[in-house]
Amino acid sequence: MSTRWYPVYQKGNPQLRVFLPNYWMKLVKPDDKQPPDVVQFQVPTGMSNHDIKNYLEKIYKVPVAEVRSAIVAGKCRPWRKNAYIIKEDDFRRAYVKLQRGTTFQFPDIDEVDSQSEAKRKLEASSEEAAQNTTSFTNKQDGERSGIPSWFSI
Amino acid sequence: MALRRIFQLASSLKEIGNHYLKPLQLARPSLVASIHTTSPKLDLSEFFEDKKNWTKDNIQVGRAYNQAELRLKSNSDLHKLWFVLLKEQNMLLTMEHFYKQNHALFPNPERIDKVKISMQNLEEVVRERNRAYWQLEVGESGERPGEERHNQIGLRFFYRKFEHNIPCEAHKKWARHHTHQYRDKEVRRFLLLLNEKRWQEKRRALNRNRRAVRTILRRYPDVDREALAAKYPDVDADHISIQRSKEVRPHKYIPPESS
Repeated sequence: MSTRWYPVYQKGNPQLRVFLPNYWMKLVKPDDKQPPDVVQFQVPTGMSNHDIKNYLEKIYKVPVAEVRSAIVAGKCRPWRKNAYIIKEDDFRRAYVKLQRGTTFQFPDIDEVDSQSEAKRKLEASSEEAAQNTTSFTNKQDGERSGIPSWFSI
Repeated sequence: MALRRIFQLASSLKEIGNHYLKPLQLARPSLVASIHTTSPKLDLSEFFEDKKNWTKDNIQVGRAYNQAELRLKSNSDLHKLWFVLLKEQNMLLTMEHFYKQNHALFPNPERIDKVKISMQNLEEVVRERNRAYWQLEVGESGERPGEERHNQIGLRFFYRKFEHNIPCEAHKKWARHHTHQYRDKEVRRFLLLLNEKRWQEKRRALNRNRRAVRTILRRYPDVDREALAAKYPDVDADHISIQRSKEVRPHKYIPPESS
């Protein structure tokens, strides 16, 4: 039996095993406010509730109490000023309830975003630009008033 | 050679007594590079990147695993590596979504591609071993069987077979939706027209290329013939006449070139 080709399960046969599972899972911020023990996921549409439970318990060792899920249609949106419409992929939205005593807090990006390198660089360059502008205008208004701006730097 | 001699020596020493082997065993760890491992976290924080990387603009990573180096690994190692890659992929997808939701730039998105390539290569290596095992034990490839079939409008497709709970012959409802033959007169007519259309496309393409080659030869008589043959392989440049046909001759008289 090759990979990705599973026999039909007949009652009484040994349990089917998936040796190389290829399902992905995204942990996303809940759309609506949820209790601290409920986590929202995005998974492929082919996954069942049992699959999600087994995936989290066996691979991530997370104690799962209950899983509820539904398929969500990907959004359609116009592209290139209504030239054509593109559709994003469908996915399954899953709400996973963790077992008693386990909670999860979704991380907040604000605490790290203020120190991020990209943001620091952007702030530094904008500050520099602002300083250059003020020094230029000060020069034009003060000691070099009446002289054209191209006269010197 | 030296290593083999050491092993021969060791095996001969083994017969004498295990205590002779002790110096060899002690010497071994110094030959192997020390292995670095990180303790697994095993909770939902594995879906997120390490917090010290969050502020980074650029996260340096290596290349994807290629098939040659995966072939050197044992089955159990590949099995473990698969789950490492799977977790990495989940983490990257989560972080990509996270950055997108916060209108920020996801650093080094090519990491996702690298993980995917690694996973593809790993699966190919596992499949290769599976095929070899089946050929050895059963004499078949062990791959999912399939064959080329025709659908109801006479178009060919590759049908991938699978196991049925109910035999196909007995399953009338299934057979109604899986008719792999065509008999109708209309289908034959359709196929005739389809073949004609395909042939016309082919013929037009050949004519277009011939015309292009003729134009090139007319404009540039000293053109590199090999380059021309490489660009238009279906046209034989030696058998193309560069004479203008009567239809396209202009009103003005152009004397034939004397060369």
